[in-house]
Amino acid sequence: MKALRFMTAITLILALGMSVASCKKVNDADVQKAAQEVLMTDPALAGVVVTVQEQVATLTGIVEDDAAKAVAESAVTAVENVKSVVNQIEVVPPAPDYTELDAAINAALADALKDHAKVTAAVQDGVITLTGEIREKELPTLMEKLNALNPVQIVNNLTIK
Amino acid sequence: MALTEKYKELIDLARENNVMVAETGNVLKLEGTVPTAAIKDKMWEIYQRLDPQFKSNDLLLNVKAAVTEGGKVRVVTQESRLNIRKGPGTDQPIVGKAEKGEIITLISKSNDLWWLVRDVDGEEGYCYAQYLEPVQ
Repeated sequence: MKALRFMTAITLILALGMSVASCKKVNDADVQKAAQEVLMTDPALAGVVVTVQEQVATLTGIVEDDAAKAVAESAVTAVENVKSVVNQIEVVPPAPDYTELDAAINAALADALKDHAKVTAAVQDGVITLTGEIREKELPTLMEKLNALNPVQIVNNLTIK
Repeated sequence: MALTEKYKELIDLARENNVMVAETGNVLKLEGTVPTAAIKDKMWEIYQRLDPQFKSNDLLLNVKAAVTEGGKVRVVTQESRLNIRKGPGTDQPIVGKAEKGEIITLISKSNDLWWLVRDVDGEEGYCYAQYLEPVQ
């Protein structure tokens, strides 16, 4: 019986020793490199950085939407020897591009302002800002014309006579 | 006060007429086509009552009255006669004039801001659409 116990203990020690040895074979730097390479295949994930410590991958950086954030997490989860993923990616939607809208509004402004000589309009990011002066009874007409240009906002700084 | 509360009367009328209502940032946007010019006028009347000098900068009201090509439109200038121009734009030569209140024929509204019309004398040209309203 004693001999059997001794043998079991030896087997256990050997097994543990071997498993420790096999654990040591996983190099975090290699896992990190593999994970980063996976992320680099997707242009939407270009802003994501992965660091691996004790097989736990931590994701940081910025993506444009929640979908990209989820894709990054599942892609890294699938990388060999990654035990778990801590997802600290920030979602920052891109700023809208108003270039075309501004150009369209600017093109139509001359016609809209034609009958309102003392009104000046500036356009930026889809917002029309009005300065100058106008007679009160002409104001609704002007506002109707400007609202029809489909701006993001109209800022009325007009002096109303 | 929340925008939807402030402009409730306007929003209710908009929804009755299938006008899109959307709130983005601090601006409420109402956009669409209503069946008659009277409803459009009513919406502007409510807007002006709630924000008398349009100084709140928190609403966009982009509604058009439904109008069919070939139908009649009324000239709704404030005082002056309406210029009928050769092409769509104030840089285009004037080919005719329509009196305030006159009813003329809409030929085409393929240009959103400048409608092609025919006046009572048979003269054809473009008028600024904001000065025309459909006649039911």
